[in-house]
Amino acid sequence: MTDRIVGLFLLAISIWYGVTAGDYEASFGDPLGPAAFPIMLSVPAAILSLVMIVRPDEEPGWVTGKPLFLQVAAVSLLLAYAGFLEVLGFPLATFIAVALFGRILRSSWPKSILSAAVMSAVLFLTFDRLLGLPLPLLPEFVS
Amino acid sequence: MDMLSALAQGFAVAITPTNLALALFGCFVGTLIGALPGLGPVNGVAILIPLAFSLGLEPTSALIMLSCIYYGCMYGGRISSIMLNIPGDEPAIMTTLDGYPMAQAGKASEALAISAVASFVGATFATIGLTLFAPLLAKAAIYFGPADYFALYVMAFATIGGITSVNPFKTLLAAFIGLMIATVGLDPATGTARYTLGSFHLYDGFDPIVAIVGLFAISEVLVYLERVHEGEAKMVPLGRALPRFKDMMAGGWANFRGSVIGFVCGILPGAGASLGAFMSYIAEQRWSAKDGKFGQGDPRGIAAPEAGNNAASGGALIPMLTLGVPGSGTTAVMLALLISLNIQPGPLLFDRQPELVWGLIAALYLANVALLIMNIPMIGLFTRMLSMPQWVLMPFVVMVSFLGVYSIGHSTFDLFVMVGFGVMGYILRMLGISLVPVILGLLLGADMENNLRRALSISNGDFQILFSSPIALALYAITATMLGLAFLLAFRARRRNPAAAG
Repeated sequence: MTDRIVGLFLLAISIWYGVTAGDYEASFGDPLGPAAFPIMLSVPAAILSLVMIVRPDEEPGWVTGKPLFLQVAAVSLLLAYAGFLEVLGFPLATFIAVALFGRILRSSWPKSILSAAVMSAVLFLTFDRLLGLPLPLLPEFVS
Repeated sequence: MDMLSALAQGFAVAITPTNLALALFGCFVGTLIGALPGLGPVNGVAILIPLAFSLGLEPTSALIMLSCIYYGCMYGGRISSIMLNIPGDEPAIMTTLDGYPMAQAGKASEALAISAVASFVGATFATIGLTLFAPLLAKAAIYFGPADYFALYVMAFATIGGITSVNPFKTLLAAFIGLMIATVGLDPATGTARYTLGSFHLYDGFDPIVAIVGLFAISEVLVYLERVHEGEAKMVPLGRALPRFKDMMAGGWANFRGSVIGFVCGILPGAGASLGAFMSYIAEQRWSAKDGKFGQGDPRGIAAPEAGNNAASGGALIPMLTLGVPGSGTTAVMLALLISLNIQPGPLLFDRQPELVWGLIAALYLANVALLIMNIPMIGLFTRMLSMPQWVLMPFVVMVSFLGVYSIGHSTFDLFVMVGFGVMGYILRMLGISLVPVILGLLLGADMENNLRRALSISNGDFQILFSSPIALALYAITATMLGLAFLLAFRARRRNPAAAG
């Protein structure tokens, strides 16, 4: 079933991709222009997506329940970290993210907080000071 | 004897203090990455590419460091196979078959030593092969025109799954997904914005390194979370600290048979180290398992696949350096590195930047010696690392990935893209769609399109030029044969196992 859904999705993408390519025009450059290669890609991609719909494989072993919850939590955490990295500054954002990540990986609060403190300090010093990659130190509302 | 003098010059490049230190660092980190379960060579190299950038390394030094990490990973993959019965990376799966039983029988250190020797033999064999064959192939590749390169890329995509992939349709589809992603951004020839959805963030397209780190490292975290509740694996005791010399050599000729088979598998496009290890093990079993001890801790069953996978990883560097077409996932990642450093691999690389190529080859010889030393007397250090808890390791990997990607452009947009690719990578993996063709498509897409357009500019839009040179025709013939074989095998497997068809 999953194969059919994903196949349908990819089929839609391929068709959209091919149709959109038709609009790309350039009056100069080479005889082929910017549209030809995408159109050449979209046809076989659409056919292969159809194969996926017609001949799906066995259902993959999707996880449910707690592991799924942990995966969703992890992805949300990563997205939040990406969003708050520059707002909160690297050390604080990393501290919070690693501590929560430790909890997702089933470690206890004290251990997670300890590893978060060590990791955010070590990574900040290594990258910012040692490797010369400037990282935001303080939260935006402080500086 | 210009090859020997070139190699001598290479050694002069490789033994400068910086490069030597980077090579040793790479070997150490690589072995560690290979040993830790779930952190394969692709992940390891991908995460450390941005690091090579932030260090501001010379291209040669960066390439030496990452190739040593690559070799180190291949050595390290066996450690968790033997100690935990969990392969450290995909090619090390075959090593669990005889390695773990031998370790259970109280001979873990012997098993590790046999596999270290086998890794050394395999990798050295492949490095010698690289020295001999790469310049030859580079010479032949000079005759390639744009149409031939286009044919070569078609072949690379059609055969990347090799003849081992479960569902060849999905492998092909994966390549098209990668190619489609590669066309996002400004068209280099005309400046037309394609598929940017009006967002100026996408005008440069997707950075392959951001995509690779997402696809591999982030999706790995999601895969790990599936089984986080199952608890940590138990490690067998190491046994004696330093095995006897006689025990180390128990692999015997299996080392060399495995090396030859692995090396050939490595050069073939799309086959790579996993196939090398698999074929070597099967062949060794046919050759010498008359007493039926395979699977119960036969030393030859450890030596053959380890020699095979290391020889294959060295062999995979040949098509990557000479043709610019990688033969495996990790070499695809290294191609991403070269492209980011503005180095175009291919036949001209040997002419224009001999110090880079030969410096790399010389560094690989040195790396092999260093790795042998690290992997026999110092093995206790690495096995101790295996007991590092996942709640330290996983967040560390994720944070280094974020930092690496952030260091490329100081853009949080890249971080979101990385997480997005991570989720996509997880879904594709669950569906049995291989990620390597996606990466390959993403990396080679622009170059493939350029060659197609260049060929058609020469012929003024006549598509016949694509099929007019003998090289291109030969490549299409090989492509058709390999594809035919892959589909034939897949259909036969399906018929034998009708449950899978439903």
